[in-house]
Amino acid sequence: MMRHLAAAACCLSLAILAGCGLVTSTNRSVFFVFDVSGTYVEAVPDATKMANITVAKLLPGDWVGASQISACSFSEKEIILQRQLPTTPSLAAEAKRELFNEFSAYAAQVKSAKYTDIRGAIAQASFELKQRPEEERFIVLFSDMLDDYSKSCDTSEIELDLRGIHVVAANVIKSDPADPQKYLDMLKEWEATVVAAGGTWSLVTSPDLLPKLVTGV
Amino acid sequence: MQQLDSTTANPADVVAGGGHFFGIPYGWPLAVAIVVLVVVMWIAREPMHRIVRQTFFFLGYMFARWGSALLDHGRRAREVTNEKIASQRADELQDRMLHLEEKMGKRTEQLARETGPILKKLDKATHELATSANAISDINLEDAAERAFRAALPSMESSRGLSKVEKNIAQNTARTMNERLAPLRPALITIRNESPRLREVADKLVKIEHDFNKNASDVNKAFSEFEEIVRSEDRKKIAARASIVVPWLIAVLITTIALAGVFLNFFLIERPMAEIVGEGARIGGIGLPAFAAVIVIFLEFVTGVILMDSAGFTRLIPAFHSMSANGRRVMLIVSFTFLALFSVMEMTLSIVREQIIEQDRETDRLAAQIIGPVLVAPVPSADAPPATDAAAPSQVPQRANVFGLELSTFAQLILAGVIPWLLAAAALPLETIIRNSVFIVSIFASFALIFLGFICRTISALFKNIGVFVLAIYDFIIFLPLFIQRYVQARRAGDTGSSRLRAKDDDLVLNDRADPKAPKREKSRQPEPEFEKAS
Repeated sequence: MMRHLAAAACCLSLAILAGCGLVTSTNRSVFFVFDVSGTYVEAVPDATKMANITVAKLLPGDWVGASQISACSFSEKEIILQRQLPTTPSLAAEAKRELFNEFSAYAAQVKSAKYTDIRGAIAQASFELKQRPEEERFIVLFSDMLDDYSKSCDTSEIELDLRGIHVVAANVIKSDPADPQKYLDMLKEWEATVVAAGGTWSLVTSPDLLPKLVTGV
Repeated sequence: MQQLDSTTANPADVVAGGGHFFGIPYGWPLAVAIVVLVVVMWIAREPMHRIVRQTFFFLGYMFARWGSALLDHGRRAREVTNEKIASQRADELQDRMLHLEEKMGKRTEQLARETGPILKKLDKATHELATSANAISDINLEDAAERAFRAALPSMESSRGLSKVEKNIAQNTARTMNERLAPLRPALITIRNESPRLREVADKLVKIEHDFNKNASDVNKAFSEFEEIVRSEDRKKIAARASIVVPWLIAVLITTIALAGVFLNFFLIERPMAEIVGEGARIGGIGLPAFAAVIVIFLEFVTGVILMDSAGFTRLIPAFHSMSANGRRVMLIVSFTFLALFSVMEMTLSIVREQIIEQDRETDRLAAQIIGPVLVAPVPSADAPPATDAAAPSQVPQRANVFGLELSTFAQLILAGVIPWLLAAAALPLETIIRNSVFIVSIFASFALIFLGFICRTISALFKNIGVFVLAIYDFIIFLPLFIQRYVQARRAGDTGSSRLRAKDDDLVLNDRADPKAPKREKSRQPEPEFEKAS
């Protein structure tokens, strides 16, 4: 009788441990945001290549999303793709190759936008990521980080909620080489915005650092 | 005026400065205070002594009891361990005797088969030798010689001349003797042929006897030792004879090597396990494929333990002891099959591992190809085509292969096939490790208990001595009134009973010298005298 009770207690303990976080998820969700406004549209092919490298390093079970920064970015129309990699390595490898093709196809036919609604795009990405069950969430911004809002779609005052989200600014090209201070101030301003919204901020200048930052490998 | 610190300043300076001691000014007030204190201490001597005795001696008594109990437990634990070791040794010898008995039984069966032809040969050779010997013994040489001579006489008579006669006699006698002895030759040949055979057969019989005697001697030796273990009262000596540490160290070494194999096995199957269980979850901080790989290794090990136990090599699982021979055979077949399946599974996983690596490499190559030379150059790879021509088929150089597999994959395949069996073999030293570890831990625990007991006894003595010291210091402080008191009491009581009175009154005399005329009593287990006195 005592043995049965002990066994039952062990099972119960295991169940409680499982409930208390013994079994956890290692998956992450990554949302790529491409800036297609102004001159940055020319850098989109390079940005998609960086995204490819990052996707190649993602693990099976990870989730990938992508959208673009346009005149009014907070919209489902701007979402390019959303896909979860299968949990087995071989199927995940196939899915990654399909993503490469999708990014390449997007880079080939991308069209320029008149305005740059960065906040709207971040809000859109944040909204999508909040729906995901993954614990680690990343927004990877491929942009010059210079926002320009249209009168019809001014999101400059919207409140961002980036709690639990890591925002990575990658391939931030310098639009005015004559004024480095302006570039640095602009980056600081964005960092302050992201941190104020509850997120964390990183700047990636080297392409090989992006996969390391996202996957931690 | 500057105040001087009484604890740090020179007392002379303090006096000069008109200081105080715990609020009492130096000089006559302090002297009066000391006198008052001494008097109070003298008055309070009895209760104060009791408090000190109850505190220190009680603690001492308590530690002494603990020490005794621990020493007792330690010694008893050692005895139990010795008994267990002796029992274990007896079990081993019993097994050995059973094994030898079985061996001798089988040998006896063989012996009947082996000795049958040998005895037939021996019988035949003996018979032939006897026949030959009879034939030889039946021949009367004197009679044969006489007959030969008589047969030679006619021819001798016809000859002429003495020399010719002699020559003729010799020739005729020899010929006749030869004719007479001709029947003896086969018998002699038989004796010559049969003698070596007889020696060979005798040698075989000697060897058989030797083997038999050796086995019997082994059985006798094992039985003698077994009997000694069972009957001997000196369990410590018996236990000391059984080696524990050396087999344990050897077993640990072998198991460590086997664990290195486990480590290797883990890395071999961890990655491909993701194809079976998937990725993306952690159990207790360990990735799911790694967790699954560990489980597979454990299962292989358990199967190995069952295999070894059912084969009779180990005795780790008690259920197998009481199982019938048929049941054990079934378990042996089942565990062998499972282990073979595990081996095949690992071999398959090793191929899957290569495929995953190849796929990952290809994916990385594609990602790097697409990026082009603008951002980062693709990782130079022997099998990677130029980055500028993504559509071109990859020019993979032909590598050495075995059965269509690359050499490294083939090596992995062999390793994966062998490791489950090596893991099974690791169950052999496991029995020694488990059994001897229990003994080693028991011995260490008994020593630890004895050591703790010793420490407690030491602390006990320390407390008692501190108590005595405190009492002595107390009496030293009030020595003057105490001396006067004793002097007065001595004067009153007279010189004759003074020493006894002093001894009775003096707390420092813990054990008064016994009266030599008093009858000696048996030493019995009693509470400490100090404690009795204190209570």
